[in-house]
Amino acid sequence: MRILIVDDESINRFLLVHMLEEDGLLDVYEARSGHEAIVLASKIQPDIVLLDVVMPDLSGFDVARELKNTNDNVYLPIIFITSLDDEETIAKCLDVGGDDFVSKPFNKTVLLAKVRAHARTRELSKKAELQNKELTYFRHSIEREHEIIEHIFSQAIVNNPLVTRYFDYRLFPAAEFSGDVFLCEASPNGGLYFLIGDFTGHGLASAIGALPVTKAFQAMATKGLSVSEIASTLNTTLESLLPINMFFAAAIVEVSENGCRLNVWNGGMPNLLLQSPTGELVTKFGSQHMALGILQADEFDDKDEVYSTEPGSRLLAFTDGLIEITNAEGEMFGEEGIERWFVGNPSVSVEELMAPLKQFLGGNEPHDDITLTMFTCQALTSLRRNQPVTALPFSVSATLHHNELKQGEGVQHFIELICSQRGLSWIRSDLFTILTELYSNALEHGVLGMDSSMKRTSEGFMAYYEQREQNLADLQSGYIELRAEFDVGERLLTVHVTDSGEGFDSLALEKVPSDETYGRGISMLRELCETLTFIDNGRHAVARIPV
Amino acid sequence: MALETQLSTDEKLLVIKMDDKFDFGKVQDFRKAYADLPESVNVVEVDLAHTEYMDSSALGMLLNMQKVLKDSVPTIRITHCRPQVLKILTISRFDKKFDIK
Repeated sequence: MRILIVDDESINRFLLVHMLEEDGLLDVYEARSGHEAIVLASKIQPDIVLLDVVMPDLSGFDVARELKNTNDNVYLPIIFITSLDDEETIAKCLDVGGDDFVSKPFNKTVLLAKVRAHARTRELSKKAELQNKELTYFRHSIEREHEIIEHIFSQAIVNNPLVTRYFDYRLFPAAEFSGDVFLCEASPNGGLYFLIGDFTGHGLASAIGALPVTKAFQAMATKGLSVSEIASTLNTTLESLLPINMFFAAAIVEVSENGCRLNVWNGGMPNLLLQSPTGELVTKFGSQHMALGILQADEFDDKDEVYSTEPGSRLLAFTDGLIEITNAEGEMFGEEGIERWFVGNPSVSVEELMAPLKQFLGGNEPHDDITLTMFTCQALTSLRRNQPVTALPFSVSATLHHNELKQGEGVQHFIELICSQRGLSWIRSDLFTILTELYSNALEHGVLGMDSSMKRTSEGFMAYYEQREQNLADLQSGYIELRAEFDVGERLLTVHVTDSGEGFDSLALEKVPSDETYGRGISMLRELCETLTFIDNGRHAVARIPV
Repeated sequence: MALETQLSTDEKLLVIKMDDKFDFGKVQDFRKAYADLPESVNVVEVDLAHTEYMDSSALGMLLNMQKVLKDSVPTIRITHCRPQVLKILTISRFDKKFDIK
């Protein structure tokens, strides 16, 4: 403990130094005037100042004010030494910032007791100051980390604006980071997917899970996986990732290209409400499953609900933060609350749904994140038509001769070649069906000259394919030419399949009764293509496929 | 092996799991999958969870299976279809002949 004694009289300084030394306090400095005290104090940083009141240059009052002003946030005890014991001076000592006083003549016991008591307070103050500094440091580093995380989140959790414009949605986080997730992505089949979910709790700890969920969801959506598969994969990912007390309630919905067929998987979320174009409640998609991230893969149930509705119907989904909001009387808004505002109100927007909520809250802050999203059932053709597509008006062709026909992989490589072009992976599954179908026709009925009608009986069906294998193995000549042309302006892919065979009656194939085990290929293709024509006596098929 | 079969322990359910392509290349394997079934089997399930593409011969194979099994197996169902596969099954009106989930 470092003590500064300020007194213009040397006898007083001597007495004080002596008393302190006797008690083992040896780190003692002396100043003979007010000015000297101020200069010395800034140099030696005393822990306690013993200060005389009356001095020739600066009074002890002025010195005390100055020392208290220049001092940092740590408590610097100033004990006035005074021979004056009138109450007014004592009061002033304390007014100007003094903390205590000792009277002359000095009483050693009292002096030392006071010095020690104030030293303890200074120690406490030093500790508090240190903790304050640490806290400030931590606060700053957390703020910096949050900025970084916010940046990452804002870059990583981004929905495609072409898809979000089909949704009316709002997210109200309870803290800086939201444990609620709303994701949507176009499907390669022309429809779209969306996911609304809620991690246990709120804030950063619950928001962090949104990253892997977003990445996995987007990857699976772009592949066109079913909602069952998406649910099951997310469950497996989260089950291994999340601590045992944390999970992810989520509803995953796939909307078909016509906008009216809904596949819904709901695990732990409030009911999704489907409203007819005139406002009636059509159905509710309740939670059928446990939330994601709880069950092991073998216990997990990926079964989804399928529902077909009419255009103009509206599907509303929300997180439980909405139904759990509580008013000043401690009442919850509840599912009935939201249904009351939504049902029978075919034009209400999400924004307008929030109004009664805010009124209900009456100034209270919601305790959990709140997310609402509404989808109006409508054809999504523009979604597919708006996906960027290659600007290259290409034309490719491949002629497969008998050796390539035997290997049988040519058509798949050809499909890969086309689908590797930007935007064309969207039609991969249609293109696969169309091209393999036309290829099979060209090969079986053209090059190999086989007749489908033998497939009529079960034995014939097998025999047909056995014969196909045999004929193909024996093949010595013949070819199939595959050609694809892409029209950028029309966004139209035209594929030609030409074979070296004798031709076949394509019309006859379409007249086969529908319960036969053959002959359904061409009518199926007509549904998938814009147009399908056979020319040159069935030797040359032309399919036009919109992209 | 391109497709897998699983017989339940009570031998009542046979599950045939197809891989990514269900096309004419699977004719033999698919036929073998439901050949020599135990008499106890009353449900055959064709699991298309992994199937991304399907052509018309796959439809033919399914119909063929239905013909072969119509006296012995009362229920044939097709499960876990992806949307594009379901589209083909729906276009072909298979939803009228099969229990599709």
